[in-house]
Parts: sequence; C-alpha cells; structure tokens
Amino acid sequence: MIKNKTVRILAIAPLSRGLGYAVMEGPDKLLAAGNKAILRHKNAGALAWVEKFIRFYQPGVLVLPDVNAADTHRAQRIKTLHRQLLGWAKQRQLKVKLISATQQRERLLGNPKGTKHAMAKSLAEKFPVELGKRLPPKRRPWMSEDPRMDIFDAVGLAMTFWPPVR
Amino acid sequence: MQSLPNYLQSQRKRLSFSQEEVAFLLGIRGMHKGNKVCRDENFAREPSLQEALAYEVIYGRPVRELFAGRYEQAEEEVKARAKILSFRKVRKPDVRRQEAIIQLAAKASVNPPIV
Repeated sequence: MIKNKTVRILAIAPLSRGLGYAVMEGPDKLLAAGNKAILRHKNAGALAWVEKFIRFYQPGVLVLPDVNAADTHRAQRIKTLHRQLLGWAKQRQLKVKLISATQQRERLLGNPKGTKHAMAKSLAEKFPVELGKRLPPKRRPWMSEDPRMDIFDAVGLAMTFWPPVR
Repeated sequence: MQSLPNYLQSQRKRLSFSQEEVAFLLGIRGMHKGNKVCRDENFAREPSLQEALAYEVIYGRPVRELFAGRYEQAEEEVKARAKILSFRKVRKPDVRRQEAIIQLAAKASVNPPIV
C-alpha cells in the first residue's frame, strides 16, 4: 500500500533492443519517458543508464516487470539483467516493485487479455502531450515490434504502480 | 518526497522545444548557446533571476513550480530563520510584526509548493 501518494518512481522496461523508461510523480504527472537503444554489451550499458537515471531523478521506488511471473516469457539475457537490477537496487536500499503483464493489463484495460496496442492507445489518450505523437501504428502480423513500444511498456508499468482512482 | 531542483527539462519536452531554441528565447548568444540550457536542466548551473523569469514566460509556469526543489529549500531556510526571529527580544513589542513572524514560521509547513 502506498502511504505517500507523491512518491517519485522510475519504471524500467528491459527489452531486447535496450530499455524503456518512465519517471512519474503521481498518477497524473509524467515527468519523463523514453527509450534507449543499446547496441553492444547490452546488460552493462542498461545498468549504466539506469544508474544515470537514478542519480538524476532520485526516485523513491524502482518499478520493474515481473519476469518470473507465470504469464511472462523473457530471454535469458533479460532475466540476468533483471537479477542484476534487483541486486543493484538492494545494494542502494532502493524499494523495488515488480508488476506482471496481467496486472498491467487488468489495471489499464480492465481485461487481462487486452493487447499491447490497446494499452499504448489508452496511455496516449491519458498523456496526449507527452505520448500522443509517439504512438506507433498497429503492428501487423508480418511486422516486428516498433521500438517506440518500449516507451509505452515503461509508462504502463509506472501507471500500474499507482492505485486505481475510485 | 523531495522535489527535483528544477523541472526545466520536462517542461521543455512538453512544448517540444530544443535546447538551442530555448537558449535563443532566453537571449543567450554564442556558438553553443544550447549548452547553458543543458547545464540548467542538469542542475549544473543556476540561472540568474532574469533567466528564471524568462523561463516562467517561456513555459507558462511560475518560478516556484519550475524550480520546486530550490523553492522548498528556501522555504525551509526562511522557516528556520523565522523561528529564531520569533525568540529575539525587542524593546517595543509590535503585534503586527509578531503575527507576521508567527505566520511565516507556520506557513512553510502548511503551504507546500504546488508542482
């Protein structure tokens, strides 16, 4: 349960191309969101970027996807990076919140079987200034995922962290 | 939660301005004028009062909101000094002065900055 509703959070979505990040101060205030493509030494590069973000934004909580959840399949490299991030956060006494894909879909769409594009679309509608122009076109079966989806993955994680408004 | 020293970067990105464009609007001259804006955003440099007010004009947000961390710091420092001032003995006690000091000492904790 979140006691302080104005905590600053950093959500990191480690992905095959690099990572997506989002910084929020409350459910309605998106401070920064973006993606970083890392070409070589991906895990070391990703850790360096996360360290840089933490030094700059000084978040109270680090939000990560739950890569070991039953509904999630991730590459071994991502799982290793995830373990490294957890260990790194523990060393620095930074609180960590893990969020599974199902939790994310239920919170944002109210449906555990919703699509990533539907989720991205709802986020773009919630933050039209910050994310409106970054929404990629819907992926067709022959297309690979757009790199901009990393941003929406991270913002989705960050949004799921906050309790729903009743 | 402690606010960041400033929120210039998020405000600039909200308006889709480049650092060079903001520097031009601030009236900074020279070859690498965007560097100064970059340093402001990374908390490496503190803008002058004139520049802080220009930021307010550009982003349409009050200075206390743009520099929330600095505002909170100043607020805490003033609150601490007001407490000291309230204990200072004066020859002619003035009710208005006393009320102002008490309000100032209490204000900081009652009125958090709007960010």
